[in-house]
Amino acid sequence: MRPENYQARNQPPSNEFELNFGPNHPGIEGNYAFRVKLNGDEVLSARADAGYLHRGFEKLMEGRLWIQNIALVPRICVPDPVPMEVCYSLAVEELCGLEVPERAQWIRVMQLEMSRLAAHLFAFGGHAATTGMYTPMFWGVADRDLILDRFEELTGGRVYSIYNIPGGVRREVPDGFLERLGSLLDYLESRLPDYDNLFFTNQVFIKRARDVGTITQEQALKWGVTGPNLRATGLEFDVRRDDPYLVYDQIEFDIPTEPGGDALSRNLVRRSELKQSIRILRQVIDRLPSIQGSIRCPIPNPLAWNVPAGESYARVESSKGELAYYVVSTGGDKPYRVHVRGPSSMHAVQVLENLAVGCRLEDIAQIMFSLDACPPEVDR
Amino acid sequence: MSKELNIWLDDLLNDIESVRFKRKSSRRVRVDVGSEALPALLELLQGRASYVHLSAITCVDWIDDDEFELVYHVWSYETRSLVSAHTRVPRDPGVYLSIYDLYQPAAFFERDIHEMFGLYFEGSPDMEKFILTEWNGPPPMRKDFDGEAFVNQNFHWEQYHPQWLKDIEEEGGGITTRPEDVR
Repeated sequence: MRPENYQARNQPPSNEFELNFGPNHPGIEGNYAFRVKLNGDEVLSARADAGYLHRGFEKLMEGRLWIQNIALVPRICVPDPVPMEVCYSLAVEELCGLEVPERAQWIRVMQLEMSRLAAHLFAFGGHAATTGMYTPMFWGVADRDLILDRFEELTGGRVYSIYNIPGGVRREVPDGFLERLGSLLDYLESRLPDYDNLFFTNQVFIKRARDVGTITQEQALKWGVTGPNLRATGLEFDVRRDDPYLVYDQIEFDIPTEPGGDALSRNLVRRSELKQSIRILRQVIDRLPSIQGSIRCPIPNPLAWNVPAGESYARVESSKGELAYYVVSTGGDKPYRVHVRGPSSMHAVQVLENLAVGCRLEDIAQIMFSLDACPPEVDR
Repeated sequence: MSKELNIWLDDLLNDIESVRFKRKSSRRVRVDVGSEALPALLELLQGRASYVHLSAITCVDWIDDDEFELVYHVWSYETRSLVSAHTRVPRDPGVYLSIYDLYQPAAFFERDIHEMFGLYFEGSPDMEKFILTEWNGPPPMRKDFDGEAFVNQNFHWEQYHPQWLKDIEEEGGGITTRPEDVR
């Protein structure tokens, strides 16, 4: 996509024209592009154009030690990095047959839900910006920052925590952390009515997002849609409940669904999930002090760690949908193959290409943000 | 309901010849199948056993065996279990059948595998370049492509050795361990 590769084409006069939407565009998440064919402002077809964020993670991981990859994987998805670490760790633990102590599992759940809250705040703020409302974006990002403060306290890193390792987590929860997390949750819960007033029940948003980018349940299953986008078509499915990992089977939470399948429903599902994540975190705060024990099981010297040969497929529910790692070991000190299945590899490519047809140009940005697509997951 | 379906599936898979079947846990099944029987197996799983969600297709390059291993992960929302169907195809000529007719998400994974491993899928809707648009070298995820050697051949370490770093090095600092010393 370099300028010298472009040539002006001689085309007969018509209303149809081609537009490069992205890679640097406020209506695109990350560096990602669409080649859009338009008739007036109606989209005739859209072709995804990825590759601007390709860093070759899967190849890089084959050349690094098992433990080194922990520092690499969260970078695959910037807004929601914790599921990457946890999913990779789960896959390696399955290969090694490691039993993660219960306390570490609860700490992981706490991190995952904090990350989900942060990612959802980011997502609805981004969507609001595509409809011309910038205040929710500022609010969402400002409140996300408070969660990042807690991440910093817990792990030392604000965005990339690099806190999970195969076998458990790196450090014990600091003194007084749970109380501070609790007061943060009180604050976030008190903000929910404000978000509603500002955004989710705002007629500007509702009129703009209703019936935009509608997916039926049948289409969702056919196109491989997962996560909140699937739940917005009315299907009650969540990896946390239906393919449980860590201690999610001991936690009570609801799976919010919406019948509409459009951009509005997808945002309303995320709105309800904010509440559910707060509910899960409160249960973690209640339970964690009573669970004693170590925070990681003994592992071999990580610099000379030969993971037994085999293959494993670990799945988690990230804020964007089903995230999975397929890891193959041949018994060496490095992975033989790691495959990352990011949920956005469906949402940002096939689903968006299908949904864009027939919509108006200004809705492409809205559809992309309502799907919460994350281009680095496509490129890897 | 889901238990019955699981038992039914176990019986079904045990009956088919050329299929090796292993239940790893209550929600994970591994199936090894010949490359000629894989599309039929997936059709069976999707049509008669509710495995409607293609979670991923993974390619593994077993260069010592001169084979690509393809792993199809399919999930059933009803039985709540994941079947991983493994098959192997020869690296040369590197052609296999697309399953796009059965699972539409396959289009992305097949295009990705074609780009990264050079394995062509007949019948896939789009085999054009996607991520590596300006790459003309061999498929990079193949094991015989050495990324580090490529970098050493095409880029020069000297270019990244500016004067300010030389000054620091003269004082005894700088990059103490070079990448080649680490590995």
